[in-house]
Amino acid sequence: MRLISRKTLLLFFLPGAIFMGAFLIYPIITMVIDSFYDIGITGEKTFIGLENYIRAFTAGGFLKQLKNTVVYILLAVGMETIIGLLFALFFELNYRGSKVIRSLMMAPLMIAPLVAGLTWKLMMSSSFGIVNELLTRVGILANSSDILWLADAKWSLIACCIADIWLTTPFMMLMTLAGLQVLDSSMLEAAKIDGASMFQQIILIKLPNIKPVLLTALSVRIIDAARTFDIIWAMTEGGPNSSSETISIIIYKTLARYNQVGYASAMAVIFIAALVVFTLVFMQSLWNPKKKMN
Amino acid sequence: MKKKISVGKNIGIALSVILTAFWLFPYIYVVCCSFKKGSEVIAVPPKFFPKVFSIENFQGLFARMDAAQYFVNSLSAAVISTVIALILGSLAAYAIQRSGAKLSVFLVVLVLCLKMIPTSSIVVPIYELICNLGLYDTKIALIIVYAAINMPFVMWTMLSFYEGIPTTLDEAAYVDGASSFQTFRKVILPICTPGLATAFIFTLFLAWNDFLVALLLTSTKAKTFTVGLAGFLSAYNLDLGPMCAGAFVFSFPVMIISLAAQKYIVSGMTAGAVKG
Repeated sequence: MRLISRKTLLLFFLPGAIFMGAFLIYPIITMVIDSFYDIGITGEKTFIGLENYIRAFTAGGFLKQLKNTVVYILLAVGMETIIGLLFALFFELNYRGSKVIRSLMMAPLMIAPLVAGLTWKLMMSSSFGIVNELLTRVGILANSSDILWLADAKWSLIACCIADIWLTTPFMMLMTLAGLQVLDSSMLEAAKIDGASMFQQIILIKLPNIKPVLLTALSVRIIDAARTFDIIWAMTEGGPNSSSETISIIIYKTLARYNQVGYASAMAVIFIAALVVFTLVFMQSLWNPKKKMN
Repeated sequence: MKKKISVGKNIGIALSVILTAFWLFPYIYVVCCSFKKGSEVIAVPPKFFPKVFSIENFQGLFARMDAAQYFVNSLSAAVISTVIALILGSLAAYAIQRSGAKLSVFLVVLVLCLKMIPTSSIVVPIYELICNLGLYDTKIALIIVYAAINMPFVMWTMLSFYEGIPTTLDEAAYVDGASSFQTFRKVILPICTPGLATAFIFTLFLAWNDFLVALLLTSTKAKTFTVGLAGFLSAYNLDLGPMCAGAFVFSFPVMIISLAAQKYIVSGMTAGAVKG
């Protein structure tokens, strides 16, 4: 029996579609068109074909930002996954008060990325920042101004990653915990009886079983990390010397600051296309829409 | 043997407590800073706890920006946009999930793709559109844009909730002569309250935490709290105390709500991910 006719489907989808059409699809269409033009500050358009796209991939284009984005994703998501996994294994233990501890651990989960960025900016300040003060006290740094987290091109991207890791590790932990909780406990019992060590239980039973959850969490995080804007903007605005500039930052700067609408649109189109392809490829292997619909 | 396990467990407990304290450190530090005296926030070397308990920074915050107004702007834009996104999104998602048409598969994929779009790349065309509509610096602009960009998220969340509801319910309602809309409104939605609650909380936080859209679309009247906070970015060191106070005022309600509604947050994050 067909519960929803094609007409009803369209009718129900329409109100939402108007919103999404105006503020999601229309902007993208505008950008695709703009990306083939050179647009002056006064708004006059000259058709230049693929020149904006070529410019993006040549020296002085967005290759540096592309590299930064990849480094950011690898570093932030990599660390989040490792720390989140380790935390989940600890937090899996049940004892009196374990629920309270788990809740507290998840408290930063919903904090605004902007606030996270501001917090870490304050903490990583070179003179009155508490991070360097603590590092000096435990003897890692000789002097509290040895690492200029936000002003040194070597450290700025890493500093942004640290704020990201702080903000989103609880998410990874939560996903892993959820995966561990649906694990069939009889499997672990059997392994224990067979004499598997704690370490073997983790590697041979827990990890393989939470793989699907972990992959989903990874795909969500990779896309979010690629899109990160607020944290980096709050901490460094992409500087110094564009050392922490990622693709979202350069697109925004090119649009809002340098007013090069055509070029920025071309970069945005490439970026969105890359994210969409990643999503579809990733989803295809995990999830099949047809199978799900039936 | 038993003793050995309990020692291991105790170490695990101790570690998890220490890790939690370590992880909450940045947030507690900001809270401590907001209750310090302004000069103490930037004292060298920095101290963790305030020497004297002071509300100087909160006074500074309210003196420096219209915090109450920004707070109200953030709140009203977030709540109203969330309600719109929730109503329209849940309706559309219901139709997509229950229709067997080929079109619905396409729509699912479309929604998923729209969910991935980075706001930073489309925000300028949105800005132009809002200016053309004459809505610049109005709450309406924020409300409709938030409703639009968060709608794919609502739909995606609701899709996975609808899936868990057997279609026999719809069929029964259909046999009793209910229209599709009546079935949705009277039969499906009431069962979906947990799903709606989850989608509501997430969308609310997405809108509340937004910075970029509000940065571009508002200047004075409709300015939100995040944009106000970002004003401290270019500020002098002396303003860092009020900035901490602002960060505290802004994120404290979020922390409380996320602790109180943790059940929904957990089910929202893991929706669709944990299913055998």
